[in-house]
Amino acid sequence: MSSSETGNYEYVSARVRSRRAYLYGDEEYRRFVRMGPGEISRYMEETTYAKEVNEFGARYKGVDLIEYALNHNLASQFEDLLRWSEGELYEHISRYLKKFDAWNVKTILRGIYAKEDIERIRDDLIPAGEFKSAFLEQLIGSSDIEEFVNLLEGTMFGKVLIKGFREYEDTGLLVPLENAIDRCYYQQLLRKTEVVEDPSLVLYTDFLRAEIDFKNIMNALRITHSGSEIPITEYYIQGGKQFTAAKLSSSMKNLDEMISMIRESTYGEQLSGAIEKLEGADSLISFEHELEAVLLEYCDRLSHVYPLSICPVIAFVLSKEKEIENVRAIARGKEAGLSPEEIEKQLVIS
Amino acid sequence: MLEIIFDLLANNAVPLQEHVSTDVVHGSLPKAAAALGVGLAALGAGIAERGIGAAAVGAIAEDREFFGIGLVMTVLPETLVILALVVIFLV
Repeated sequence: MSSSETGNYEYVSARVRSRRAYLYGDEEYRRFVRMGPGEISRYMEETTYAKEVNEFGARYKGVDLIEYALNHNLASQFEDLLRWSEGELYEHISRYLKKFDAWNVKTILRGIYAKEDIERIRDDLIPAGEFKSAFLEQLIGSSDIEEFVNLLEGTMFGKVLIKGFREYEDTGLLVPLENAIDRCYYQQLLRKTEVVEDPSLVLYTDFLRAEIDFKNIMNALRITHSGSEIPITEYYIQGGKQFTAAKLSSSMKNLDEMISMIRESTYGEQLSGAIEKLEGADSLISFEHELEAVLLEYCDRLSHVYPLSICPVIAFVLSKEKEIENVRAIARGKEAGLSPEEIEKQLVIS
Repeated sequence: MLEIIFDLLANNAVPLQEHVSTDVVHGSLPKAAAALGVGLAALGAGIAERGIGAAAVGAIAEDREFFGIGLVMTVLPETLVILALVVIFLV
């Protein structure tokens, strides 16, 4: 029963819960919406972002300062999670945080594809995953996608990317490569959690499968909404709980059918508010945000049912990510001159 | 585990029987059992405190204000030992 084998759940969840209490709430967001970028960064300096705002304050200002402070704070907080945890818990967290490796790899891939400025790609990376920054630099520096794929050969994305690259060469589309990364990430997450009987891990797996379901719904909705003819199997991520590829592709031709399918699934009740919004408006954004909020709520509930499990940590990771996204949306919205009401629509508040 | 201890007690009691009457041996048996009970209670409290202590230290690391409440929570299972100690005076 030593903590080095099973993990120090008590210690980590106590710290994570405490950190969670310091995240910004509705009230702060409402205040931010009415502030300028300078005021927001000054406010951030008085909260958990003090170190980052001070560090970057001399070099950047305005929205850039906020962006850098957010990204680096996210990275350092997630590094803390790994530093605290031991044993099995460490394994779970590090596997979940590979999400940011997937994110970084996708960002760089898109950057190379769009021949974006190196500086701009670098700005969008979140250094919270397993890849060292030197390796990321190497990736950014690759001259074309082939070099990029070759660099990643030894990593977990290696095999699937080589397969996806062949398709990319035939079609010239990024989709197969991006999907390969997403699929690979979820598969490595589910593979290790499939064979356990611990009830908290069973629920964690459930949560992951719900996350995959939501991702699949989102992809299907986006395809349907854009009116393109790409088959869903191109995007489909295996491992979801409710929606099979066949089920999604049969109903995705028409938006109403799609909505009724979601309503009939087990998520129907939790998502009822979101579904109504989706029916009323043609903007997908609010539905997307609602999906995210529901997922967060689900994870929150799990973390109350099983306080000594990975669930509180995942709930923290998700809500921290939401916070970063919200603050960034506010700062960017302010920069673009949107009205407070419009910005508020972009926020995920649970 | 208890059987082994009682066995040990019984075996140790054999040479004693030569000098002391069986009444005395039987009289000390409840006391030995009570002592064991207190020990086990302390072990239980220790196991409980392990988790609470880890959580309390985690909370204190984030915010020093938790020190007071963390300390109280950590020693709360100690009441188990105190209650178990009552048994000593009863036998």
